[in-house]
Amino acid sequence: MSALTADNIHKAFGDHEVLKGVSLSVERGEVVTLIGASGSGKSTFLRCLNLLEMPQQGELAIGMHRFTFGNGPRTPKDAQLAQLRENVGMVFQHFNLFPHMSVLANVTEGPVQVKGMARAEADALGRDLLAKVGLADKADAFPSRLSGGQKQRVAIARALAMKPEVMLFDEPTSALDPELVGEVLSVIRSLAAEGMTMVLVTHEMAFAADVSTRVGFMNDGIMAEIGTPDETIRQPRSERLKAFLARFHETH
Amino acid sequence: MYVWEFAALKPYWGLIWQGLLVTLFYTVTTVVAGLLIGLVVGILRTTAPRWVSVPLRLYIEIFRCTPLLVQLVWMYYALPVLIGVDMSPAMACFIALSLYAGSFYAEIFRGGIEAVDVGQWEAGRAIGMRRGKIFRRIVLPQATQVMIPSFINQTIMQLKNTSLVSVVAVGDLLYQGSVITATSYKPLEVYTTIALLYFVVLFPLTLVADRLELRMGAHR
Repeated sequence: MSALTADNIHKAFGDHEVLKGVSLSVERGEVVTLIGASGSGKSTFLRCLNLLEMPQQGELAIGMHRFTFGNGPRTPKDAQLAQLRENVGMVFQHFNLFPHMSVLANVTEGPVQVKGMARAEADALGRDLLAKVGLADKADAFPSRLSGGQKQRVAIARALAMKPEVMLFDEPTSALDPELVGEVLSVIRSLAAEGMTMVLVTHEMAFAADVSTRVGFMNDGIMAEIGTPDETIRQPRSERLKAFLARFHETH
Repeated sequence: MYVWEFAALKPYWGLIWQGLLVTLFYTVTTVVAGLLIGLVVGILRTTAPRWVSVPLRLYIEIFRCTPLLVQLVWMYYALPVLIGVDMSPAMACFIALSLYAGSFYAEIFRGGIEAVDVGQWEAGRAIGMRRGKIFRRIVLPQATQVMIPSFINQTIMQLKNTSLVSVVAVGDLLYQGSVITATSYKPLEVYTTIALLYFVVLFPLTLVADRLELRMGAHR
C-alpha cells in the first residue's frame, strides 16, 4: 500500500495556475525528490501534501486520511487538517523554530500540546531526538543562539517528535551557508537509511541522486519526468530537463 | 522674584491625595477595560470576516480621530439624551476612557499579531496544532514581545489623559488642583505640585518599561 497518493492536484493563485494536475504515489520507505526551476510548482505541490496549501481539484490520501477537492466537497475542517498533519512532518526552508521556546520545548510542543503526552515522557523523547540529530547539549539553549544548520536539525527533531508516517522537506538547505549544508543532509540521509518515507524539494542534485529512490522533475506545473535517479538525472529524456540540468551544472 | 510658599498647601494634602487616588483608579480600571476591548477587537481585526472587521475599524478610527476631550463631553452630555439613561460623570468618563484606550490598544495588538512571521503559523499547523492553540502558545507570546514598548507608551498616555475628566467635575488630581487654587490663591504652588506628582508616578513606569523590554528581548 502506498504511504501517500496525490492524484491530479490542481492549484491556482488567482489567475496564475501553479499546479496543472500533478500526481504522485509514494511507497512506504521511499525517498522521492522533486527538482525543477523556481516557479515550477514543486514547493507548492509539497505544501499541498500536508494541506498548507489547499488544492482546488484532485485527491490526496495519506494513511487513513483521504481528501477530495473540487466542486462538491467542502474544504476540510481545522480538526481534520490537524489530524492529517499529526502524521505528516514538515521541515521548512527557513526553519520556523519557535523563538520564545527553548530547543527542547520546540521539540516537545507537538507531543505535549497535540498528543497530550506527559511532560516527563515528552522531555525524554525530545532529548532522544536531539541526541539523534547531534544536539543533545543544546536542549536548554534558545534558537537564536544556534547556527542555521543547528536550527534546521532542531526543526527536523521537532517534526520527528510527532512520529510522522511521512516527512516533507521544503528546500531544507537552501537558507544555509554552504559549510552547514552537510550536517543537515547527513541527518536526512540517516532518516532515509532508517526507512522513513520522505518527499524532498531540493537543489542539492548530488544528494538527490544519492539518497532518492525516485527523482521527479517538475516543470511549469506538471510532473514532467519521474524515475530512478539514474533515469531522471543521468539520462534525462526531455529537452527541458536536459536544459535544466545543464544550466544547473554550469552554476554549481 | 517669586517667593514659593509650598507650606500654604499643607491643609490641602488630603484633597491632593484623594485626587491622586482617583487618577490612579481611572488609570487602572480603564487600562484593564481598554486592554480587554483592545485584545478582542485586535484579534477580530486580524481574523474575522469583513462584516465584523469593517465596523470594528470604524470604531477604532472614530475614537482615534476625535479628541478624547470631545468624546468625554459627548458621552456626558449627548449619550444620555440619545439612549435616555442618566449617566453619572464618573460613568461617562469610564466609558469614554475605556473605549479610547481600547481603540489604541486594538491597533497595538493587531500590529503585534501581524508582525509575527507567517512561518510561525505554518510551523504550528505542520505539527498538528489547531488555530486557537497556535494563537495562544506561538503567536500571542511573540506578539506581546513586539507590543511591550507601544503598550507602555499608551498606558503612560492614558494616565495623563485621565486629567481630562476634571472637565466634567470628576475629582481627579487636576480637578482637586483647581479646587485648591480657588480657595488658596496659590496656583503656582498647586499646579507645580500636581505636575510633580504626575511625574513621580510616571517616571518609574518608564524605567520599568525599559527593564521589561530588555528582559523580554533577551531570547531574540
